Amino acid sequence: MIDYFAEIWNTFNSMLKGMAITFKTMLKPATTVQYPTEKLVPYEGFRGALLFDAETCISCNLCVKACPSYCIQLENATNEETGKKIAKVAWYSIDLGKCNFCRLCEEACPTKPKAVWHSLDYELTFWNRDEMVRCWKKGFDFVGMYFNRKEKEFKKPDGQVQIQTVQQRFIY
Amino acid sequence: MTESATEEKKPKLKSDQMFVNLGPQHPSTHGVLRIGLTIEGEIIVKAEPDIGYLHRGTEKLAEIRGYHHCVVISDRWDYLNAMGNNMVFCMATEKLMGVEIPERAQHLRVLMLELNRIASHLLFFGTYGIDLGAFTAFLHAFREREMVLDLFEKVCGARMTYNYIRLAGVMKDLPKDWLNECQEFLTFFKERLVDYDTLLSFNPIFLDRTKKVGIVSAKDALDWGWSGPNLRASGVDYDMRKFEPYSSYDKYEFEVPLGKDGSCWDRYYCRVREMHQSVRIIEQVLGGLPEGPTLGRGVAKVPKAKPGEAYAAIEGARGDLGILLVSDGNSSPYRLHVRAPSFVNLQILQEMLVGQKMSDVIAILGSIDIVLGEVDR
Repeated sequence: MIDYFAEIWNTFNSMLKGMAITFKTMLKPATTVQYPTEKLVPYEGFRGALLFDAETCISCNLCVKACPSYCIQLENATNEETGKKIAKVAWYSIDLGKCNFCRLCEEACPTKPKAVWHSLDYELTFWNRDEMVRCWKKGFDFVGMYFNRKEKEFKKPDGQVQIQTVQQRFIY
Repeated sequence: MTESATEEKKPKLKSDQMFVNLGPQHPSTHGVLRIGLTIEGEIIVKAEPDIGYLHRGTEKLAEIRGYHHCVVISDRWDYLNAMGNNMVFCMATEKLMGVEIPERAQHLRVLMLELNRIASHLLFFGTYGIDLGAFTAFLHAFREREMVLDLFEKVCGARMTYNYIRLAGVMKDLPKDWLNECQEFLTFFKERLVDYDTLLSFNPIFLDRTKKVGIVSAKDALDWGWSGPNLRASGVDYDMRKFEPYSSYDKYEFEVPLGKDGSCWDRYYCRVREMHQSVRIIEQVLGGLPEGPTLGRGVAKVPKAKPGEAYAAIEGARGDLGILLVSDGNSSPYRLHVRAPSFVNLQILQEMLVGQKMSDVIAILGSIDIVLGEVDR
């Protein structure tokens, strides 16, 4: 009989103790953020969506070899008069659907500042599969364009909501 | 367990058998695990775990990829303890390549492994509470886990797939002020560990659900190849960090928490006490972090390992995580095999569940702490 009531008391008591801890945290400020309206900015060196700069790239193919999922492709530009290859890219593309976000391409890049680098952008969303493959040419901005197969032209990726459009390049 | 012992557990009174599918999309299976349960009334007479829903063939993928690429792949096995995966692959490859790892990198590796162990056990702590109907513990655990993930984000830029431990060292040195933040976290976390015991560990309702449920004897645990906290909960004193120290574990003092009878509660409490020990190790690492380079020399951009075999094992968050690496001298491994602790720990389920009540299935499954990414690889 005593055991029975002791058990009831124990259970009740432990519940009170648990509620006391809950009550303590109730008065503290919230640790969560209301995501679509409030946004967290990642720390320096976060591995977000890849950006590319066609001007600095020397078309050395190191990032293509460094990528574990083979998501980068590029083609050398040629000098129009002589027909020889020059150290610039004609086009450069990254399949962000395949990207591992591992930073091996950025580390392999020999230029300073880096020609391919991770931005802080974590809001990487796509409306369709075409948008996953970003393409860069001379004159395209860092975010790149995608090729719309229906309309047969390069378009800006509408799906990506950019929290910071152009990122500074961190030098390691 | 012998055949006759299994027979004894079955109910004496025969009734109609019913087949129940648990999973693959059940929230308490922590991923995509299907268990085919045959029940008589409330008692389970047969249990068939069905795995392979998350198979990605990473062992085969590694055979056509370079050694640097394999580190990225290894992140995806046990995604809750990705530092351990990075570590064990790098250890196996370093054995073949014969490169030296700088002193500072060794200490940083231990630091990251233990932080990751805390994060992994916190997730277990939270989800195990949810499995048994206690929601508050989950919120508390995830608040602290978020802090560990923030620390990881600052140091390597990712929250789950770190790719931080590299061949012959680590990716980069700690950022400024990181050590202070880590120390702040530890001070905060040590107080929270007391709360956890109040919230869940010694809650009578939680004790009733777990204390005498899913008992595994030390012999059974060894026979089925259990390792890690599960094995130690059954009373077997075996920890790779203590008995075959790797990296710089031999320099730190810590205890190996043991359970008594191998019940669900023992397995749970073993992990909670391991978090205390991890905090102890991290404090020692922070106290004596040597200066120096973090990445050793001698690893090419496209590295080639010497022909031969290497086996490396570490104490992951779930048990002995081992890698067998066979090289034929090329730039990619000839064969890579992972001894995944979750996969081995899961196997006992088919015998353990027989004779148990239907309502205890989740308590038992949750206490083994599997990660399906590692089971299926």
